[in-house]
Amino acid sequence: MLSDRQPRSFLEPAVLARLSGVPLLARRPMVGNVSGRHASPHRGSSVEFAEYRKYVPGDDLRRLDWRAFGRSDRFYVKEYEADTNLRLVLVLDTSGSMAFGSTKPAAQAGPQPLVKLDYARRICGALGYLASQQGDAVGIACAAERIVRTLPPRRSPAHLRLVFDVLDEARPQGTTGLCEVLHEIAETIRQRALVAIVSDLFADPEELAGAFGHLKFRRHDVAVFHLLDPQEMAFTFQRPTRFVDLEGGAAIFADPIEIADRYHTAVTAYLESLRRIVLEKGIDYQRVLTDEPYEQVLARFLVGRAAARGLR
Amino acid sequence: MTFLQPWLLVALPLVALPLIIHLINQRRFQTVQWAAMRFLLAARAMSSGYSKLRHWLIMLLRMLAVAAVILAIGRPLSRGWLALAGGARPDTAIVVLDRSPSMQARDPATPETKLATGRRQLAETLATLAPQRCLLVEGDKLVEVPAAALVDLPAAGPVAAAADIPGMLQAAYDHIRDNAAGTAEVWICSDGRTNDWALEDGGWAGLRDAFAKLPQQVRFQLVAFDAAPAGNVAVRVTEARLERRGEARELLVSVVATRQDSGDPITLPLKFELGGVSTAVEVELAGREAVLANHALPLGRGESARGWGRVSIPADTCAADNEFYFVFDEPPPRLALVVAEEAAAGRVLELAASIPPSKELVARAESVPRAGLATAPWAEAAALIWQGPLPQGDEAKLVDEFVARGGQAIFFPPESADGATFAGVSWGEWLAHPQPLRPEQWRSDEDILANTLASGALPVGELEVQRSCGLGGEIVPLATLADGLPLVARVPDGRGITFCATLPRPRDSSLASEGIVLYAILQRLIERGLEPLAGARQIDAGPAASELLAAATADARWACVAGPAGSSGAEAGWQAGVYEAAGRLVAINRPPAEDVAAIAAPERIDGLFRGLAYTRVEGRAGRGDSIVQEIWRAFLIAMLLALVGEGLLSLPRRRVATPVIPALAEAAA
Repeated sequence: MLSDRQPRSFLEPAVLARLSGVPLLARRPMVGNVSGRHASPHRGSSVEFAEYRKYVPGDDLRRLDWRAFGRSDRFYVKEYEADTNLRLVLVLDTSGSMAFGSTKPAAQAGPQPLVKLDYARRICGALGYLASQQGDAVGIACAAERIVRTLPPRRSPAHLRLVFDVLDEARPQGTTGLCEVLHEIAETIRQRALVAIVSDLFADPEELAGAFGHLKFRRHDVAVFHLLDPQEMAFTFQRPTRFVDLEGGAAIFADPIEIADRYHTAVTAYLESLRRIVLEKGIDYQRVLTDEPYEQVLARFLVGRAAARGLR
Repeated sequence: MTFLQPWLLVALPLVALPLIIHLINQRRFQTVQWAAMRFLLAARAMSSGYSKLRHWLIMLLRMLAVAAVILAIGRPLSRGWLALAGGARPDTAIVVLDRSPSMQARDPATPETKLATGRRQLAETLATLAPQRCLLVEGDKLVEVPAAALVDLPAAGPVAAAADIPGMLQAAYDHIRDNAAGTAEVWICSDGRTNDWALEDGGWAGLRDAFAKLPQQVRFQLVAFDAAPAGNVAVRVTEARLERRGEARELLVSVVATRQDSGDPITLPLKFELGGVSTAVEVELAGREAVLANHALPLGRGESARGWGRVSIPADTCAADNEFYFVFDEPPPRLALVVAEEAAAGRVLELAASIPPSKELVARAESVPRAGLATAPWAEAAALIWQGPLPQGDEAKLVDEFVARGGQAIFFPPESADGATFAGVSWGEWLAHPQPLRPEQWRSDEDILANTLASGALPVGELEVQRSCGLGGEIVPLATLADGLPLVARVPDGRGITFCATLPRPRDSSLASEGIVLYAILQRLIERGLEPLAGARQIDAGPAASELLAAATADARWACVAGPAGSSGAEAGWQAGVYEAAGRLVAINRPPAEDVAAIAAPERIDGLFRGLAYTRVEGRAGRGDSIVQEIWRAFLIAMLLALVGEGLLSLPRRRVATPVIPALAEAAA
């Protein structure tokens, strides 16, 4: 299906091949325009029984359950679940903070460490590919202080290439306006979709809660890949350091040894509030340290969703 | 604080090393492009009071550690057990030892005396300080001694004489002024007895000023053993005289036992040793003093009238005042030579001199014409009573020799002054007083006009003087008339030369009619003059006794017949004992003040050194530790503690673990 001749650095065929064994499923019923493998709120013609309904004139007589008529002398029609396709909207954080990286994967050559945006590209690329493979529509929105690039969800392979082009061309810059972007996405995507947010979430947790709530209110299935660099968690600097803000803010001079405790306290408080938010909003939340193989992250994500197939 | 290697303290600026390193580190920062700024901002916004305090504490402890190392290698010394004094190693250390008998006191719990403890501690201290020179004050001279020798040097040992602390400090001052070029440290070891320190001596102020004006830095270190010995009793013989009872003779000995504190009544056994025979008698000591008066010790018929004995009491906390030597002999004849140009006055003077104060005594006054002075019995005379022009030429030479060997001379004025001078004093003009003058002031505490032994005052104030003769020259008035004219005076050099400015004639004064005063004056002079003639003398240990024993002729050297070891030789006269030479006996004992003198209050002694670099260190007999100790170990321990504290403070107080792993596990579940 994928006939992209252009090599993509963020796509690893072996990884995609291994991941394709597990379907990407929505946790909520989707309203698609074609048949697919995702649950729909409507009754359809799948093989999965849904319920009995009293016969009304005009119903297809082939759907009458004659055995039920034999037992009860009444006419009932059997209804089955409807399967439809999925709209996957990838929200890629391209703010300046995504340019940070301190780890270098074993497979990567060269002196440059793996920055969070590279990691995000791989997740988005893999998700897009997997969704496209199973006939779902894939769209993308690159978010910095605003939406810097967007493609609406479409099912065609050509559109997937465009999505990959967007991923390729994404550059980390500007400040984080993720919450505003999510609000905008919630307003602009009219039909139910799986919104996969790949970001470091360096935003105010209360604002994030509002944005997630908005998406959920629009009946979107929200999945979050929270990318964190190991150094951002451990904060193992030893020497006095001048920290320059990647998003253009003021630089801070600090003695890491002196400030480490309070830094960890702040991180802990932030993660704890984030945890509370995702639990309250029912967000499919994946905290990802960038030294973890993304294949492992996606496998965990896909398997987790398969275990909880969307309800009508 | 004192340091043995003070020059190493130039490294003290290295204390700032941690601060400098900290500042350099601050300059050597790294720059990191950072994403999670919100956490950094939150961390900075959090309260950092403790963090800043910890930061400065760590810095302080590091600086303390460096300072402790530098101070430790400077070899610091502790002075005293509590006090710290400033200064460095002295060039010269001068030791002033109070070797008086009271320094023989000890603590009941230890056999070591105050003096022994002080000597040992000073030896250890000076060995630690290692000054270039260590000098010991001996009387009025200083001798160089090794510091360690202070422990067993005889010249630093105990004596029976009182200490002359001002005199010794004066000797130290003279030496420093004349010799010492660098810093000097005067170590005084004393128990602070008022008699040793002569606190009322007017010379202290001058001495203090003299030390203060010295160009050298002089520090005074007083090791004060001023704890009173508990339960100490001192015994003293106040009189030992022979008395005939028919054919037999007996020795009447009066003894007084004193103690500083009036404790519980005790029964004190007195042990008398006389001629190899010991007898004992008990006295009750209820208050501070017990007197045993005229205790009779019989002498055998064939026994010599001259002899010596000893009184002792059982051992207590001060061994030096537990025994007392006494000597006795038949009293010599009380011969006075009378030289008078006025016959009337001469008769009165002869009469007053020839009446013995006791029927047991023989008194005689021999009138000598001036022409026969050369053949007068000078060697047997105790006193010279001179009325007339002052002696000149050969006469003066004879009188000088007489006074020099201990004779007493009193001069009455001539009828007409001739301007002659003797002993720096000359007679002036006669002054007639229309109204008889009475003496207004006189020395009733000492000398020839002193009160009687029963504290009764002589009726000096009842004398009436119609005429008095002026006195020129340097004199010490003993009695002064109402208009300030001297009536009785003596020359100030301590020799036995006295002047009386009127005559015992009715037209001149009532000296003859109120004869008590004249009689007391002459008999007291005779009594004094008899001392060098007596076959047995009782004198106080000290320079006078030492001088007496040193003045031995080739055929008659003083030999110690009783006394502790070391009583002979250079220490003779300073140790208690009995000495004999040419048939004469001398008993040398501690001065009376040693038994009764109080310990001066610390602030009084401290006040003597006001304005000088002075440190007082409390001493205690038997104390084992040293006055000055090297305390570099304490500084090393301080350094270790500082480093440990720094290490503890440098540890993260509480690592806040990030919830990464639990959250991931939770998500996986």
